[in-house]
Amino acid sequence: MKKNFKKIIALALSLVSMVTALAGCQTKEDSQTASSQGEKTVIEYWHPNAEVQGGLTVDELVKNFNETNDHIEVVAKYNPDMYKGLMQNLQAEAATGNYPALVQIGWAFLDYFSNNFEYVEPQEAIDRFDAEDSTFLEDKFLPSVLDLAVNSKGSQVGIPYSLSTPVLYINKDLFREAGLDENGPTTWTEVAEFARTIKEKTGKYGFYMQEPADFWAQQAVVESNGATMIKKDGEKAEATFASPEGIEAMQLLADMIADGSALHVSNDEGCQSFIDGNCAMLYTTIARRASIQEGVQFEAATVKSPLWEGKDRKIPAGGCFLAITAQDDEQIAAAWEFEKYLYSVEAMAEWTKGTGYVPPRNDVAEAENGLKTFLAENDMMTAAVEQIGDVVPWTAFPGDAGLEAEQELLDMRDQILGGQVSAQEGMTKTQDSINELLAN
Amino acid sequence: MLKTEKKQAVLGYIFLIPSLVMFTVFMFYPMFYTLYLSFFKWNMIKPVKEFVGLANYVSVLSDPNTWKIFGNTLLYIVILLVFNFIVPYVLSFILSNIVKKGHGFYKSAFFLPSVISLVVGSMLYVWILNPISGPVAIIAKHFGITMPFWSKTQGWVIAVLCIITTWKSFGYNFIIILAGVSGVSQEVIEAARLDNIPMWKIFKDIVLPMSSATGIYVFITTIVQGMQYVFTPIKVITQGGPNYASSNMIYMSYHEAFTLYSTGTSSAVSVMTMALFIILLILEFKFVEKGVYYEN
Repeated sequence: MKKNFKKIIALALSLVSMVTALAGCQTKEDSQTASSQGEKTVIEYWHPNAEVQGGLTVDELVKNFNETNDHIEVVAKYNPDMYKGLMQNLQAEAATGNYPALVQIGWAFLDYFSNNFEYVEPQEAIDRFDAEDSTFLEDKFLPSVLDLAVNSKGSQVGIPYSLSTPVLYINKDLFREAGLDENGPTTWTEVAEFARTIKEKTGKYGFYMQEPADFWAQQAVVESNGATMIKKDGEKAEATFASPEGIEAMQLLADMIADGSALHVSNDEGCQSFIDGNCAMLYTTIARRASIQEGVQFEAATVKSPLWEGKDRKIPAGGCFLAITAQDDEQIAAAWEFEKYLYSVEAMAEWTKGTGYVPPRNDVAEAENGLKTFLAENDMMTAAVEQIGDVVPWTAFPGDAGLEAEQELLDMRDQILGGQVSAQEGMTKTQDSINELLAN
Repeated sequence: MLKTEKKQAVLGYIFLIPSLVMFTVFMFYPMFYTLYLSFFKWNMIKPVKEFVGLANYVSVLSDPNTWKIFGNTLLYIVILLVFNFIVPYVLSFILSNIVKKGHGFYKSAFFLPSVISLVVGSMLYVWILNPISGPVAIIAKHFGITMPFWSKTQGWVIAVLCIITTWKSFGYNFIIILAGVSGVSQEVIEAARLDNIPMWKIFKDIVLPMSSATGIYVFITTIVQGMQYVFTPIKVITQGGPNYASSNMIYMSYHEAFTLYSTGTSSAVSVMTMALFIILLILEFKFVEKGVYYEN
């Protein structure tokens, strides 16, 4: 009898655990409907800003917004691995039919995002939910800035939010020690010479160019030398970076690494080496200014992205635009209200202070409640503000093969900088391979 | 009598149902769906999956990177077998038969990292092993040694990722093997000692065979870990780079699916990885299992 009782209990328990497991899915749906019927609309805001790259400011802005309104609750969600990581998560989430309300989309993903995901154009959201302020976009943004978020089909996919450009950070103490001009190099040839001098005189490394999972910084060197990453002719696109100018640019970087004056390490290690004073120059985004400024124990400064003799500066716009991916009206309205708050002068100013992004709104830099005093005190921003006129779009390879093409560029960079192939060989091979991908 | 046996059997099957349901939902279904996906071209969003037959397998097998990654996978397994299987085996023998003091200390000291997340561990190691300014580099500099830029150097990168993985799983393996080795009857060992049998022979001919049941378990989990655990440091530190020099088959599968959204290729890699494991398991059952000594 007692034995049977035990069996029955065991059976009952296992059934219960099974039912609970199945019921798990059910409860989740229930709670979601409940929340949308409740007093507050809950929306998700996806961003890739780690704590050192503006994450703290995101949290602060969201907290501030949640406290000052009574009908929307914004939940900020951090996505690791920058815009690519966010895009990957969005893709996975979309596969399950869920969408966040507002997302940060990196420039490189402009076409990929608009071809593969459903979004609401900002003007449409304004017309439907904020009609009295229907000229918001024209009033607050320069047309050239708005154009950065227009895709190849002419749709305004979102509004530029974070604008960044690559600048050269220099360690003035090391420059002095090596007897170099404290104003820093102005051309890439000078960068190479300076790096060599620093290596000889101080034993420290001269230069590191950021190497995350994108080709952004390298594009600046290649295109500033007169090469173009890609040539677009209507629907057709052709990779063209393996021109003599492009090859010259990549070879310069490879040579610096080969002779030991520049570093070829992972991105975190490289930036860390500049901050702890082991590397005299760092070529990376202005968005890292805040964390570099806080981290360094020496006199650091920024100079404008170096040039090639006699040629124009062409630097890709980094950062992102905000796109509304909310699906139903209530969520779209809430997403726009939050987005508009993010574009207010005060919120924009906070964003710049926390990250180093250049504000996309045209009136923030001079406004008293904006950045006027801040810019006067932070001359590390000046280089980025001054070179904003030289911005070009960040190359995005179109179509389904876009991600694969981007990956091939990264593989190519590894091979060239690692010294396994020459720039000539690596770039020609990769260009052919990408063009084959694009032709399919 | 027969009736009760039958009843027992039915009851047994009923008890199996919950776990069977779980296995079906979380293992068998995904497994067959992966097999199904490996014949299609799809990016997880498009409504239509395009049937391509064996094209995904052909493209995987004809890609030179696949073979490089396959080689990496084997290298990971071999290195981890040395660090995580052979070394803890020898160490447990030493601790249970030669050094008999401080077991508790060693156990907890070695086991401690096992409770720390491998992501955290990986980030710690990036700092500790930073080739320019990390503490290890600074100490090495005093001895005139320059650390290689391991995260971008072929070969070194695998070695370092293995060290990080070992840091995580060494303690667990060590404790399991120590239990097995301590279980070997002391009388047999004492008897051998009285006959002046050298220690390495005692290890090889007595301890190893008599603890082989535990040994084979750790052997297999080490191989599996060689595939799976290294995924975390790869993802956190190198993303498979430089130029696939640190990728393994599990990471390749992930990379194809969630970086390039090529689910077909990813599934093909997964299916091939699974096939490889099935072959390994069959070999194991056929040749190794026979020689294993189970006490009960």
